[in-house]
Order: sequence, then structure tokens, then C-alpha cells
Amino acid sequence: MIYNEISKVIDNKEIAENIFEAHLSSDNLSKIAKPGQFINILPSSSFDKTMRRPMSLSYQDSNSFKIIYKPIGDGTRIMRSWKEGDSADIIGPLGNAWEVSKNKEAILLGGGVGIAPILNLYNNIESTHPSHLFFGARKKEEHFIDHNPDKNIYISTDDGSAGIKGNLFEAMKSIFDINDFKDKSIYVCGPPMMMEAVRKFSVEHDIECHLALETIMACGIGICQGCTVEKCSDESSTDTYRNKYELVCMDGPIYKANEVKTCLL
Amino acid sequence: MLALKIKDITFKNPIMVASGTYGYGNEVSDFVNLSKFGAIITKSVTRNPREGNPPPRIFEVSSGMLNSIGLANLGVEKYIEEKIPYLNKIDTNIIINIAGTRIDDYVETLEMLEGADSKHIGYEINISCPNVKEGGMQFGVSPDMTKELTQELRKRTDKILIMKLSPNVTSIEEIGLASQDGGADAVSAINTVMGMSVDIKTKKPRLSTIMGGLSGPCIKPVALANIHKLFKTLDIPIIGIGGISNCDDVIEFMLTGSRFVELGTINYKYPNLVETLVDQLQSYLEEQSIDHIKNIVGDLMIENK
Repeated sequence: MIYNEISKVIDNKEIAENIFEAHLSSDNLSKIAKPGQFINILPSSSFDKTMRRPMSLSYQDSNSFKIIYKPIGDGTRIMRSWKEGDSADIIGPLGNAWEVSKNKEAILLGGGVGIAPILNLYNNIESTHPSHLFFGARKKEEHFIDHNPDKNIYISTDDGSAGIKGNLFEAMKSIFDINDFKDKSIYVCGPPMMMEAVRKFSVEHDIECHLALETIMACGIGICQGCTVEKCSDESSTDTYRNKYELVCMDGPIYKANEVKTCLL
Repeated sequence: MLALKIKDITFKNPIMVASGTYGYGNEVSDFVNLSKFGAIITKSVTRNPREGNPPPRIFEVSSGMLNSIGLANLGVEKYIEEKIPYLNKIDTNIIINIAGTRIDDYVETLEMLEGADSKHIGYEINISCPNVKEGGMQFGVSPDMTKELTQELRKRTDKILIMKLSPNVTSIEEIGLASQDGGADAVSAINTVMGMSVDIKTKKPRLSTIMGGLSGPCIKPVALANIHKLFKTLDIPIIGIGGISNCDDVIEFMLTGSRFVELGTINYKYPNLVETLVDQLQSYLEEQSIDHIKNIVGDLMIENK
């Protein structure tokens, strides 16, 4: 079921340097949304751009949800000015959801605002499932989670100003040896280059890995066919339609590392 | 007040959704009342399945978007098997958009659809897709080929036959006349305008095919000028398309000569817009004391100077 509803802003605040979290009400969609799914937002009724803005949910309960964003584009700059009581037109929940491997420990990697769907998953499984959360950013000021290795929560910074120095991929490899991955699966969302490094590493070492992809989308519901990713196609299939290219909005945004040819969309 | 006809087929209102911008109807059925639509024109179907163009396929530009999907579609056989059963359940007119490479492709696709257990009332023929070499564009730029294709299809169907015209031609009137002479019941105009955008950081074009089709509010004046030209030339109805995003736009298109309109790119942003516009159009007629929508078609006031 997909809903088109008007959400009200409950709260909207800067949680780290130039990183914002908005908390919005929802009549229906947050009840049925699953971690990994996203919504397509019209930030205001006067928004004059052609496309809505797709955003992953970072949190959801029965009547509200949260998103995390960086105000760098036309849509997110309007979102930054949201005040309590403002309205946003949203469509969702969209796309597929994370599939958690029950018998494997989870390594969750979230880079920058790509942490959103990772946090939603973490909060959903952390109490019942052995989990290791990694959150990467360029510097200390961009973090809003504390480095706490005792609780399996690690942060990394490119400049070494907090937590582990290096990118997420390097941080993960500094904690886990290659043999540690046998009983673990990776869940990752963040900058495309980092995701691509993790994807290649996982494929090469036969590690179960789930990716949340991001790309330009217009409709978000499988109509415009604009948001394609090239998949590792079924060579034996004679049906060319949707065999080579998948729609990230509908077939994704979550893929296993061995299902797609690249994260660089 | 809003009902109109093409041949003997009645449309509840003049607002349709353009091919490729509304899929096959089922995608939005959770939250859109499709029975309010004048018609749904389904995504281009071809004789054989097509994988479409490599990514990136879309890019947002000022007041519009570029696309180069490349007619990705499941092919007519699967269309009949998988899409028609749902389309048959929708309480509105269904028009099937067909694209092809050769006349035989269009003919075979149409014949298969004629033989299907389907309630569709007509066809829109895509002779103007700018994004694939074989997207029918060679038909769309040639009056002779347009006429021949229209005639071949006309022989094979009594359903409504609409030719979809490209603005990327020297004379859209000639292509329109060729469609009319070939036996088309209507023309729809315009398809997307050839466009391009470049990422200055990477120096790469924004679309994998370099150029693509521009749509959205930015092409509205181009559409109106082309519709004006067609209205002066043709006797058959014109279905106006190109950047319509509100009720004023619908009226502007109708004054210029469109008997019907198609909403396109705006559907991505407001999937529910048709219903709103139908209500607003009704209110407009009541406020202006206009008896019927057909009275404003082509009612353009041009002063002689």
C-alpha cells in the first residue's frame, strides 16, 4: 500500500554541523513502513522544481517518522526552514526493505546522511540481534553519535578528529579481520565511492552484503523508469525488459552486493 | 459540461495523462481515483521487449526535466498478458500508445492488440520519440512515411487513431496534414523537445545518450505555438501536451485549439492532479457561465491590425 498524505512538522533541528533531523507526523505510512524504505517529499506547496525529493526514513513509529538531511540542494534548503506545524506532501512508503540474515551478526555502515536507513535498521534490530554500528563523517563536528566500542558503536572521521581515523571501509577493516566476516553480514549506505569499495570487497571475499542505493528519481513508484541500476543479469533469460536494468525506486533501493554491477550511479 | 467526443467515443472530461508518465495505471491505484480521468494513455509498447537506455536516464533542469528512457517496455505479448487485465477494470477510457521501428512493427503490435480481450478505445502512435534511433522518429519527420503508416494502421482498426507529433521538425503542419490525410482521428502534440545538459565538473553529458527529450513547464510556449499552427491547418481534433501544470494552463491550451489535453511530467510531482484539475475546470465554466467546455476550444482573440 502506498499513501499520499500531508505530514506536519513536529520538530526540525540541526543535530550536527549542517546535518538536520526533521520529525514529521504521519497518518498511515509510518505504521506500515519498514526499515530501508523511503518516501518522496514535496518540501512545500510552492516548490517549483519538477521532481519530489526521495528521502530514507531514519526512524518511524505508529504516527510519525524522522528523516536526516544536509541542506545542499533546492529541496533540502526549504526543509531547513521548516517550522513546527509546517506541512509537507509525502508519498510512501516506497521501495523494498532491508532483509536481515537471522543467523549472522550485523555490521551496519552509515556514511554522512546515508546513516538514515542504517539507523532505522539498527534501532529495529539492535535489541534482538548482535549488531556493530559504524558511522562515518569527514570530521568530529559532523557526528551526532558517540564513539562507544564497548557497545559496538564506532565512529570514524576522515581527519581523525574523533573515533577511528579513515573512511568507513577502513574503520570496519580495522575492527574485523577478514576471517571475522564468515558469520556476519554487512548493511551499508553512504557516499557512492565508499559503497562501491564495500561492494567490491564483499563480492571478492564472498561476504553477504546489503546496499541501499541512491540515485536521481522522478516518480519513485516505477512509472518514469529513470532511476536505473545495471544488475548482474540472468544471461539465460530471453526477456530483455528489466533483465539488464532494474528500477532503484521499486526493485530497490536495497540490493545485495552481488546483484548489481556498480554503486556509482 | 466537460464531456467530449472523438468519433463515437465519449470522454468524461478533456484531461488525459500522457504516455510514459502514468505507467499502466496500477502503480498509483492505491491513492488515485482513476475513474476521474478523461483517459489514460499507457506507456509506449513495442512489438518486442526493450531494455531501454543505460543510466543516467533523467536529469532535472530549470522548470523541467530531460529524459532518455529509450522506450523500455515489456513488449506487446506480455503487455496483453500482464497489463490489460488490470486496465480492463478501470472505469475510464484507455488509449494504448504504440512505438516501433518499421511499419510492420506498428502493424503487428496493433493487430495483436486488436485481437486481445481488451476494452481500450484507441491508439496513440508514437512517431516522435527522440531517444532511440528506431523510436519512430524517421516517421515523425517525414510527411510521406507518416501518411503511409497512418493508412496502414487505419486499415486495421476502427478504434480511435491518434498520431503523436514531434516539435523537432521543420513543419509540424505538414506532419499533421499527413496524419489527417492518412485517416487519423486526432493528433497529439507535442512530444518532448530535443535537449541536453552537461556536468561541468566531469565534463560529461547528464544523459547516457548525450541528448534527450525535454519536458515540463519550460516547453509550454513551444507546445502552444505548435498547437496554434496545427489548429489553423487541421480539421481533426488536437490533443495538447507540453508542460501543463495547472487549470490555467489547461484553459490556455484549449483556447489555442486543443480539444483535449494530456498531463505529462507534472504527474511525477502530483500524481493526483487530474482529479483537482477536473474539479477546477468545472468551477471555471460555472463562474464564467460557459455552457460547455467545447465552447472555449480555439476561442483565441486575435486582433487584426
